[in-house]
Amino acid sequence: MNISPDIYHQLSILASQDILSDQDCLYLEFGKVDYEIAWELQKYLVNARYEGSINTDIIMLLEHSPVFTIGKRGNRDSLRVSEEFLKNNNTPVIHVERGGDITYHGPGQVIVYPIIHLEKARIGVKDYVAALEEMMIQTADDWGICAERHSKNHGVWVNNKKLGSVGITVRRGICFHGLALNVNMSLEPFTWINPCGLKDVKVTSMAKESDQSIVIKDVRNSLRKHMENVLNVKLNRILSQS
Amino acid sequence: MKEIDQLILPDDVRFSKDHEWAKNEGNNVKVGISDYAQDQLGDIVFVEMPQIGDTFKKDEEFGSIESVKAVSEIYMPVSGEIVSINTELEDHPEQVNQSPYDKGWIIEIKPDDLSEIDTLMTNKDYIAMLKG
Repeated sequence: MNISPDIYHQLSILASQDILSDQDCLYLEFGKVDYEIAWELQKYLVNARYEGSINTDIIMLLEHSPVFTIGKRGNRDSLRVSEEFLKNNNTPVIHVERGGDITYHGPGQVIVYPIIHLEKARIGVKDYVAALEEMMIQTADDWGICAERHSKNHGVWVNNKKLGSVGITVRRGICFHGLALNVNMSLEPFTWINPCGLKDVKVTSMAKESDQSIVIKDVRNSLRKHMENVLNVKLNRILSQS
Repeated sequence: MKEIDQLILPDDVRFSKDHEWAKNEGNNVKVGISDYAQDQLGDIVFVEMPQIGDTFKKDEEFGSIESVKAVSEIYMPVSGEIVSINTELEDHPEQVNQSPYDKGWIIEIKPDDLSEIDTLMTNKDYIAMLKG
C-alpha cells in the first residue's frame, strides 16, 4: 500500500490542536509502505517540526516493500548481485542520508522512524542510538530472545547474528530514520549484500531465534510499549492507516 | 555525557546555536564543533567536508559528521568561502573527539563579513544556552 496523500491534511489538523503535555507524541501507524513515500513523509515532518507547524515529536511505525538502502558512506560495492538481478526481483536500491552502510528492508520487518527534537528533549545522539537499541533488546526479550549490543557495530545481535539495525540522521537538532527489527521475514535478500558493508555479517530474525511463528502485530505492540518507557513518551494520539 | 561544568569552552572562540565554534585567524575564520557536540555525538568515524572554493551562507549545511550510525549535519557559523579543509580528518576523524578546538578543526572560511563572528555566542552565552 501507499500512504494516502490525505495524511498531510490529517497531520495539519492534528498539529493545530493543543498538545496535552510535553510527553505527548504523535503516533503514526501504517501497514506496508514504499520506502520513498515514507522517506518523503519523514523529511516533511522534520521540516514541519523545525519550523514549528508541528510542535510535538512524531513516531512512525510501519513495514516496507522490499528495498535496499545505502547510507551516506556506503556504495554499491556492498551489493553481491547484479543490478539486473535486483531489477528482475523488483527490489530498488536507494541512496539515503542516514548513518551506516547498506541494508535490506522488506515485509515482516518492523520499522520505527522517530522524528524527535533531540535538542529540545536534551538527548545526545549517542544516548539516543543506545535507546533505539534498548527498545529492540526489550522487545526481543518478550519472546525469550537474548539480544545484545556489539562493541564495534551498532544495532542488536543474537549470537553474533544481526537481529536489528539502527541508522539515523540529525538535521537541525531533529532526528529521522531509525530502527529496523527483523521479525518474521525472508532473510534471503540479506545474502545478496554485505550487510553494513562488512563481509561475513550473518543476519537473523525473531521467528528464527525463537523457533516459532510470530505475529507481527504482537511485536508492534510490544515495541510500542518499550518505546514509551525507554523514550519516556506517551504514544496516545494515533493516526492509523493500514 | 559530560556535565556542563566539565566541558572545555575556550574564551577565544565563538559558538553557534548549532554547536559549531568559530575563531578569528588573521582575516579568516576557523570552524569546528564544540566539546559539547563531540561528546554527545560519541565516537566519530567520518567527517564529510566541502570543496575548497565552495561558498555558503550562514546557517547553511556545509558537511556532516558520522558517529554511532548517525549522520549529523553541520552548519556554517558565518557566511563565506571555504579556503581550507582539515584533510587529516579523512584518516583520523577521531581527532574531532580528542581535540575539538585544535587538531579537530574542520574548515577555514574567508568570511563575507569578518564582523559577523561577533554575532555568535561567547562561551558564557553558550553555557547559558546549554543550561536552558
